[in-house]
Amino acid sequence: MKEKNMKLLRISIIHVFLVIAVVISVFPFFWMITGATNASVDITKGTMKLGKALKDNWSNLQSSANILQISWNTIKTTVIYTILSILICSMAGYGFEKYRSKGKNIVYAMFLLSMMIPFSAQMIPLFKMAAKGNMLDSHIAIILPTLAMPFLVFFFRQSFQSYPNELIEAARVDGANEFVIFFQLVFMPMKSTFAAAAIYAFMKQWNNYLWPLIVIQSNEKKTFSLLLSSLASAYYVDYGQLMLAIVFATLPIIIVFLTMQKQFVEGIVGSSK
Amino acid sequence: MKRKSIAIIMAAVLVMSLFVGCGKAKTENSKENSAAGTEAGKTAEEGKTSGEAKTITVWAWDDKFNVAVMKEAAEVYAESNPDANVKIDVVSLSKEDVYVKLQTALAGGGSGIPDIVLLEDYVSGKYLNTFPGDFVDLTDKFDYSQFLPFKVNAVTQNGKVYAVPFDTGATALYYRIDLIEKAGYTEEDMQNLTWDEFIEIGKDVTEKTGVQMIVEIANNKTTLIRSMMQSCGLWYYDMDGNINIKNNEALKAAFETILKMKQAGILFEAESTEGRAGALNSGTVASVVNAPWFISSLRQAEDQKGQWRAARIPRLSQVSSSINASNVGGSSWYVLEKSKVKDDAIAFMQGVWQGNTDFYDTILLNQGAMGSYIPGYATDAYKAEDEFFGGQKLNGLFTEVLPEVIPVNYGGYVAEANDAITTALSNLFEGKTDVNGALEQAEEQLANQLGR
Amino acid sequence: MKRKAGPNYNWYGWIFISTAFLLYLIFTIYPAGASLMLAFQGMDGGKYVFTGLNNFKRMLGDTIFLQSLKNTFFYLIIQVPVMLVMALSIATLLNSKVLKWKGFFRTSIFLPCVTSLVAYSILFKMMFSMDGIVNQILIHFGILDAPYQYLQNSGWARAVIIIAMLWRWTGYNVIFYLSALQNIPKETFEAAKVDGANAFYVFFKVTIPQLKPIILLTTIMSTNGTLQLFDETMNITQGGPANSTMTVSHYIYNQSFVYAPNFGYASAISYVVVFIMIILAIIQFGVAGKDN
Repeated sequence: MKEKNMKLLRISIIHVFLVIAVVISVFPFFWMITGATNASVDITKGTMKLGKALKDNWSNLQSSANILQISWNTIKTTVIYTILSILICSMAGYGFEKYRSKGKNIVYAMFLLSMMIPFSAQMIPLFKMAAKGNMLDSHIAIILPTLAMPFLVFFFRQSFQSYPNELIEAARVDGANEFVIFFQLVFMPMKSTFAAAAIYAFMKQWNNYLWPLIVIQSNEKKTFSLLLSSLASAYYVDYGQLMLAIVFATLPIIIVFLTMQKQFVEGIVGSSK
Repeated sequence: MKRKSIAIIMAAVLVMSLFVGCGKAKTENSKENSAAGTEAGKTAEEGKTSGEAKTITVWAWDDKFNVAVMKEAAEVYAESNPDANVKIDVVSLSKEDVYVKLQTALAGGGSGIPDIVLLEDYVSGKYLNTFPGDFVDLTDKFDYSQFLPFKVNAVTQNGKVYAVPFDTGATALYYRIDLIEKAGYTEEDMQNLTWDEFIEIGKDVTEKTGVQMIVEIANNKTTLIRSMMQSCGLWYYDMDGNINIKNNEALKAAFETILKMKQAGILFEAESTEGRAGALNSGTVASVVNAPWFISSLRQAEDQKGQWRAARIPRLSQVSSSINASNVGGSSWYVLEKSKVKDDAIAFMQGVWQGNTDFYDTILLNQGAMGSYIPGYATDAYKAEDEFFGGQKLNGLFTEVLPEVIPVNYGGYVAEANDAITTALSNLFEGKTDVNGALEQAEEQLANQLGR
Repeated sequence: MKRKAGPNYNWYGWIFISTAFLLYLIFTIYPAGASLMLAFQGMDGGKYVFTGLNNFKRMLGDTIFLQSLKNTFFYLIIQVPVMLVMALSIATLLNSKVLKWKGFFRTSIFLPCVTSLVAYSILFKMMFSMDGIVNQILIHFGILDAPYQYLQNSGWARAVIIIAMLWRWTGYNVIFYLSALQNIPKETFEAAKVDGANAFYVFFKVTIPQLKPIILLTTIMSTNGTLQLFDETMNITQGGPANSTMTVSHYIYNQSFVYAPNFGYASAISYVVVFIMIILAIIQFGVAGKDN
């Protein structure tokens, strides 16, 4: 009996603790949503109640920016970036892991090292390149420079460790081409690894700020993070409008995460061995 | 299987749209490169949509203020010059972002620069020093005697004028008349004060109403300092651009005054700009010193309508040159030398920003922007009564103050100086040093920052 | 079987790597190299001139730089361990067999790291403001009499930065630990239980050693992230009061874009940070290796 009580106590403690953690985690989202329905003056006063200003905030937001265009720009760059970067990085990770050689290890070490160079140190030469390549104010300039992400290469290499070499050898014996092996044999069973990488790349690009800021020149090519930044910096900041913009900018990632989270968690399991 | 194929189609569409998108960008660029518009560079699509219209790109911040003003200017220009055939594209960025982009573009050799850019008067000197030759000398393009002298002075370097002066930061003391009256004072008592008199009134207000008298931002306490300093015609730098902090009597008096406020318990230190707006809107503070654009923050509290008044700012009694007029901030429009449509950009600025008093009336009424164009001040718009301020002729007050503001040399490196002053003030408030020590510290930090 | 690739296959390996490698050479190595050159140059009338080690000498006498370095290490020493311990604890609880609604808890705890930086900074600035929720709650429960201004006290301002970072990044690390925990074979635990070990013993002697690679990974990632900390201090405190929250990355930004543009000096500071990161990574690998 006593043991049963102890167990019950333990279960409740775990739940109570986690509920507190959840409240802390989720509270700011709640605040963000209430903020989107309130007038700016009430937000600065610290209100927590749902307000009636949602419609005003929406019309203000529409008058300061073309939300549809900005959403499309952000979705377009993010999705293309995500697809290309996981393709490129997964191939590199596979190459490093399954075809090991001394030369490749040196290149791999260089990749890891460059994770530590802050972006601000590369910015100006990169900008000059974008200007020379006539790519300023184009979405391709946002996408191209960061496609080869060292972290993703590292992540894929770790994950491919768990893929049995025997299967690859067997396919080779059957006469399969190396690329066929990669795309057909490895790709499908490692789906969750790719899902995890996709979420990572998606988040990274969706919130990307400094580089798009520098290469994008016109209002028509802007992405969400640039919009948020310009809304947040005014002599008088309209917080209601800003909160609504933040809600728009945050929802898609939450949706992506919710739909892919099962694979995401499983994907990381693969890499952490 | 079906879902997969949909995903692949989606991806294909996206990839294709990417290439369509960048293809377009390229044609646009090549069009710019051959500004004359050779036949080869003209595709059918271009001919249909844009014809020969040239695009003037403007970078500015604040959708409701600078950006809106420039969009208004574009409309005015299009109406009055239908043959000009230019399209004015105002790109809205945050202020920090304008600087980051401009600096990267100029350091990167000048591709991707705008044609016109808005710069604060406080920082423009830095860009003129660092990138000599990148900004157009406008000395002969405008009649600068028609613009406020202190604004023209702010955009002049080595005798050349580099910008079209735009908005001014004529400072006023905005205060809550209901609270002042509760403490036994009248509107009359708030005119042409010294800061010492202001502090005495503040003590009574705080005692009798429980509301602190004046607000300043804690991590950037320099709005008050800067307005006090320029009211004496002094600045962080002297007219030759040398650092002037340690022996700056205005700065010393300003430090003493702000410390007195703190010790008297009448100074509310807000943690941020939001905190400042919140404190004013919720009625926990009775006054603020700031520029005309700040009024839009006050107006948010509709329940305080009619309770606000504006007055000239107090002067420093310790400094003989101090007057009841000053300025904080303000910005101006610069034309870039490497712009491909430089002459069109200059023509546009001349067409709207010089001679057109109706335009200045419009931006005053719609955006609350106080221009620097003196003939603009004679219009009826400046006689309007403002209900939020109990029917006071608010704009009239500014036009009275503005011509008196003493020109100083902002020196271009105000951000560095502000940081040094903020750090020193913070140490002063924590009792780590006295006024002279704080000033010495600030001078040393600034000299170190500037490598002097 | 032992040889993973025959001589033919080596080539294929390079082909797999080639796209990433090419992009990396063009968009990382070249710009990084160019900026390394900048570290030895200074601005003179709009042009860069070679100034040798001047930029590095200047750092030694630059009190704000030294202060920012000190602050950054302060964040590193406090925030990284606290965050990783919290993440590991939460992950252990989430992995508990008796836990209900696992998906709900997991999702909620992970959510903070999807928020954009602007959103999250504004949020924390407001929560810790005078009228903010934190003051409201503390006053409600009688812990405080009057609202406290957290961002004006250097200690509290740093604490707010750390709290903000904990909020945003703990959940992110939880996912890594959780998946690693789920990866530990159940037999390992059962064997320990049969031996009569208590929960704490199991945690420290069985779980932790199994998690070592992932702990190393998260430590290096977090160290890296903290050394590049910028947005939080920029948006929440602007580095104040009196530079007490200024980080090295924030200072690099100021040197590049807020103050008179000095990309040479900024780049010299960047490379000092890179150097520190490499040293720390070597130390962390060393510590992890020694225990084995």
